[in-house]
Amino acid sequence: MNRDESQPNRSRSGRMADDEIVTVTGLTKRYGEVAAVDDLSFSLQRGTVTGFLGPNGAGKTTTLRLLLGLAEPSSGTALVFGRRYAQLQHPGRLVGAVLESGDFHPGRSGRDHLRVLAVTSDVTPSRVDDVLDLVGLTPAATRPVKTYSLGMRQRLGLASALLGDPELLVLDEPANGLDPAGVHWLRTVLRSFADDGGTVLVSSHLLAEVAQSVEHVIIIDRGRVVANAPLDEIAGHGETLEDAYLALTTQVVS
Amino acid sequence: MKSQLRAEFLKQRTTRTTIGMVAALVGLVLVAIALHGFGLPVNDVTSRSDQLGIFIDVGENLGSLFAALLGAMAITGEVRHGTIRPTLLTTPQRGRVVAAKAVSSLLTGVAFGALATALAASAGSVFLSIRGVTVDVGAGDYALLVVGGATAAALWAVIGLGVGAVVRSQVPTVVGMFVWVLFVENILIGSIPSVGKFAPAALARAIAGATNGTLHTPALAALLLALYTGAAITAGWLATTRRDFA
Repeated sequence: MNRDESQPNRSRSGRMADDEIVTVTGLTKRYGEVAAVDDLSFSLQRGTVTGFLGPNGAGKTTTLRLLLGLAEPSSGTALVFGRRYAQLQHPGRLVGAVLESGDFHPGRSGRDHLRVLAVTSDVTPSRVDDVLDLVGLTPAATRPVKTYSLGMRQRLGLASALLGDPELLVLDEPANGLDPAGVHWLRTVLRSFADDGGTVLVSSHLLAEVAQSVEHVIIIDRGRVVANAPLDEIAGHGETLEDAYLALTTQVVS
Repeated sequence: MKSQLRAEFLKQRTTRTTIGMVAALVGLVLVAIALHGFGLPVNDVTSRSDQLGIFIDVGENLGSLFAALLGAMAITGEVRHGTIRPTLLTTPQRGRVVAAKAVSSLLTGVAFGALATALAASAGSVFLSIRGVTVDVGAGDYALLVVGGATAAALWAVIGLGVGAVVRSQVPTVVGMFVWVLFVENILIGSIPSVGKFAPAALARAIAGATNGTLHTPALAALLLALYTGAAITAGWLATTRRDFA
């Protein structure tokens, strides 16, 4: 697919440019008596990079799993492109997601991992080499993943997310294990993806990094949204993102 | 569904697991058939039914067991390594994933069963001839052994997939199936033969032509094992489509 640089808000699926990419409404997930996600609502607009923040156990990963159809909500809805994820025909062409940095068979090469996904994502085999090149893994492409460093696995995960040339990226802690140059590279990739009309939802604990990468912030705590605003509204007036985050979330002192 | 099936075969080809299992199967069949062929007293290897019994015990049993392991690993391996997440992200219609795995396991099971029984029969015949024993097994026996062995292993592969889809965890699945085949069924057949002959491994032997403590009708055995297979894959399908993935 061609990326038309003159139309930064173009929609590759032909939808209206200003529609909601993600719509989460009253999303709740209970495990017995505990609500891991409790009546969560937010939406993502096309072309934005949103940081998804919260303490460990706040429900970030559960929310992403519900959004991506890996788990069923107890109540409420999580829609991508106006549908439940499971109703998307070729989700790999619309949504690229990485939930864990280690979701690879250790004995399979990075290239073969992507070839398998290319078959079910309905993308051309040549796209595999394109994304390997994009993430800088071409020299290691035929080596088994067990020989990869954590940073290389993160890059391979990102390559698998980008494989279908999606419109939405959902990334859980993508900067973990990346060296400073890798973090800088990741920021550039996400920025150009959004500038190109793509939408990004990225969870992270690295607040200083988030402050440089995102324009919108959603903070959740104990399964509920405690902040949902542009970055410069949350951090600003002499307050850093870290100050705001610490003031809004429950801190468990060990 | 076609692309999911292509992906499943590509998964099988791109790790050493499948080829390692083939190598282990071939090695075990050869060792076991050599031990039986050369080790058993001559009186126990001269009759047609003794000889056929050895070929079935080694070839059909090992072929079906390895096919079941392969089927179980098709799903538990993905859970173990986390690749089930990218698999379901590209194919959120989980029924299609289960169906593709069932077909790929079935076909690979056919290959495992045919390979193991053909190897057991040919190596066994050679070893017995070397020992000076006349091989009394006929062409019809060989044909039923290989066709039945392939059928039984195909069904066992899908049973393994169904069990693996319910249990999800790899080690308990594999250990559980070994315990069933090697201990539970043996005890059942030994203590209550009238029930034991309806157990899945006994049915598999009957499909390949066994007559010792099993049903004597391969077609009926195949029908019953197919019913078990249907039940196992239905349970696996329900467990996969209804339960969350972490």
